[in-house]
Amino acid sequence: MLRSKTIYKNILQCLCCSYKSIKTLIFSLIMLSLGAIPLLAQEKNIEVFPSAPYDRFIIYQALVLFWIGIIGLIVIIRMKLREIERIQDMGIDKEEKDIPFLD
Amino acid sequence: MSCQRLKNWIEDRYDLDGLRGFAKHKLIPVHRYEVLYYTGGLAMFLFIIQFITGMVLSFYYIPYFEQAHKSIIEIVTKLNMGWFFRSLHHWGAQLSIGVLFIHVFSTLLLKSYRKPRELLWITGFILLGISIFFGLSGYFLLWDERAFAAVRVATGGAGNLPVIGGFIKSFLRGGIDVTGETLTRFYAFHVSVLPILTLILIGIHLALVQYHGMSVPVSEEKNVKKYVPFFPNVLYKDFIIWLVALGVVVTLSVLMPPEIGKKADPLAAPPENIKPEWYFLFLFQTLKLFPGDLMGLNGEMIAIILISLGILFFFLIPFFDRKSARGERSPVFTWIGIIYTAYFIRHDHYRVFDLGER
Repeated sequence: MLRSKTIYKNILQCLCCSYKSIKTLIFSLIMLSLGAIPLLAQEKNIEVFPSAPYDRFIIYQALVLFWIGIIGLIVIIRMKLREIERIQDMGIDKEEKDIPFLD
Repeated sequence: MSCQRLKNWIEDRYDLDGLRGFAKHKLIPVHRYEVLYYTGGLAMFLFIIQFITGMVLSFYYIPYFEQAHKSIIEIVTKLNMGWFFRSLHHWGAQLSIGVLFIHVFSTLLLKSYRKPRELLWITGFILLGISIFFGLSGYFLLWDERAFAAVRVATGGAGNLPVIGGFIKSFLRGGIDVTGETLTRFYAFHVSVLPILTLILIGIHLALVQYHGMSVPVSEEKNVKKYVPFFPNVLYKDFIIWLVALGVVVTLSVLMPPEIGKKADPLAAPPENIKPEWYFLFLFQTLKLFPGDLMGLNGEMIAIILISLGILFFFLIPFFDRKSARGERSPVFTWIGIIYTAYFIRHDHYRVFDLGER
């Protein structure tokens, strides 16, 4: 009984001591809420790009792979073009006229 | 059906060898400025991207003023890859108009419009005008406050033209002011009238290129090193350029997706610091040079008349440049070309890094 009374007394003491700080805290919270009200009224920017980090990672990864594919295709076309130009320079791309038929 | 059988099936019915022979027979001159030949093909490739992405977007876009803005937000935020297709369409439009301007100014400076290619110049010039109108109408479909203000300014400016101005203004707006009627009209222009005109004009333009062959600048006529066949040499180089362009459009679409502004309110004041799209800036800046009242006359009307005369002169340049038509050098028209190009770049260069804003 005595013990519970002491605890109760201690709690009361604590509350009285921190009364000032609690008052300050509540006042700050009210002021913060008041300051944030205009933010609620502000229109949100529309997300024109996926915001999830995983989605972003997949998109950037796909972009890198896409560029690797493009560079690969360019290299293949360039090689093919060089081969064509080499054959044209040698002059063996033209069909010969009056070529005999082989039966 | 195997590939060979399919090939045989087609060859039985169509003269593929004839087509191949025609492509091989077409020769392209090699000289210092040959790189500019690729701008036409590049513009066409970007147009194809625009057609494809535009068709995809039109499945979901609602051309009604109460739902237009919301439908775009839904395309971007709810549809799978919707943001990507919209971004591709936006950047494809910016690049295609940019490439078209390069194509037109290079044609102007190299005098490729000279006899007998006047009709090529005319069809190309009309295509440029159509592309700009494509840009304006597509911009308006967003139905956000900036697009709304821009269209109000553009159609109001056209209304200042004497005699026909009022008719053009009310025809474009579908009434006395920019309203939901204007949105319906611009949608009709954007998805039906302009694409059909573009396809017809591209067809005529390409047929004329085939008929006349490639133009060689007067200064380079004696310096042509050799001629290479269009197929496969030039076509392969075209493929390389198209692949790079595709990579650039995709990269820009991913890294700089265009923003969506606030929904347009016809009764609200226009937003501050409003600027038109970069290809309209030279017109916008020119209009700003003129005061509201000039010697008792409407300054804006005088500015619109002068701009229209400048564009008309640009359009009719092949008929004024008689020296080039005779195959002689004409430095006066080179300087005129340089002045036109410089005037355009002078007003547009600072928006190049600002395009992702839209």
